Amino acid sequence: MTQPTRSDEPIWWALFSAGGVCFAVLIPGLILTLAIAYPLGLLPENALDYAQIRQWLFSDYWGLAGLVLVGAGLCLPLFHAMHRVHHGMHDLMLRAGGWGKVLCYGSASLLSVLALYFWYLGLSAS
Amino acid sequence: MQKTLVIQRYNPEQDHKPHPQHFTVPCDDSTSVLDALLYIQQQLDPTLAFRWSCRMAICGSCGVMVNGIPKLGCKTFLRDYKDDITVEALAHFATEKDLISDMSVFLTHLQAVKPYLINHDTRPQPHQQTPKQLAKYAKFSNCINCGLCYSACPQFGLNPAFLGPAALTLAQRYNLDSRDQGKAQRMPQLNGKNGVWGCTFVGFCSDVCPKQLDPAAAVNQGKVASAADFVIGIFKP
Repeated sequence: MTQPTRSDEPIWWALFSAGGVCFAVLIPGLILTLAIAYPLGLLPENALDYAQIRQWLFSDYWGLAGLVLVGAGLCLPLFHAMHRVHHGMHDLMLRAGGWGKVLCYGSASLLSVLALYFWYLGLSAS
Repeated sequence: MQKTLVIQRYNPEQDHKPHPQHFTVPCDDSTSVLDALLYIQQQLDPTLAFRWSCRMAICGSCGVMVNGIPKLGCKTFLRDYKDDITVEALAHFATEKDLISDMSVFLTHLQAVKPYLINHDTRPQPHQQTPKQLAKYAKFSNCINCGLCYSACPQFGLNPAFLGPAALTLAQRYNLDSRDQGKAQRMPQLNGKNGVWGCTFVGFCSDVCPKQLDPAAAVNQGKVASAADFVIGIFKP
């Protein structure tokens, strides 16, 4: 039997797994804080002040919190979602081949780069 | 008590396509689908073709689709079905005749992953193993090669070249065995797109496994092993 070529899937699967963890852990925390706790008045009135958030995301600890938020809240979940779309296309028998892969992971990469760029803009403006 | 079985009949020498045929069989609480098939063959229609051997979920021969779900005929009982019961040959395989599937694709995939101990030590003493080492792979070692997981797997249905749940589970079973030295020979098969990466973790294989092997877990452990192998491959040409 001939030896099959090694699949590049471990790269996408690793990003998918990391994104899944972020989806499962970070997104519920964000929803709990921003969509439930704050509207219910469980947080201080000024907790989500623009200046305060700006300070946290771009100034404190070299903007590390902003980078974590962009990476774990946007970039990795994007790869997670597009990995599902990519395999979903296969399940629906849309034979997109290599182009499907380029479209899915390309759009995830593009939006990730954009998100990181905006974080960098905020960082340099602070 | 009586029940009606709707059996998908197919004789490639006469039929253009499979067609259903109704049989009414006597049954009680202990009548299995296999018992019912044997009754039909012995009393109603001797031309009905199906595989069977042990009648106790050990041989893995009597796999059929019962109401669209892959089942062992001997382990499925008429008492659990209210209405008519549909019996067909296993899905995702070619049908040779009536309920007999052509399992050769499955057997080829099994062979590809070398599902046996590979050990170059030729000394005559036994290869000892601690209970802890045994526990690592024991849960994956009860496969009876019935092929139900292949009928359950939508990815095998879409792509018959996918090695499939049972073969990948057996690969993982031997890779986890402390007496085995064949992992390097098996990994290239697992690393390909038709290896572990053909799986999208649907999990239906684990639902239908008559021996509760959890092939989906084994395949996903294989993904971790293949990802580790990928990283090692980057640093070690």
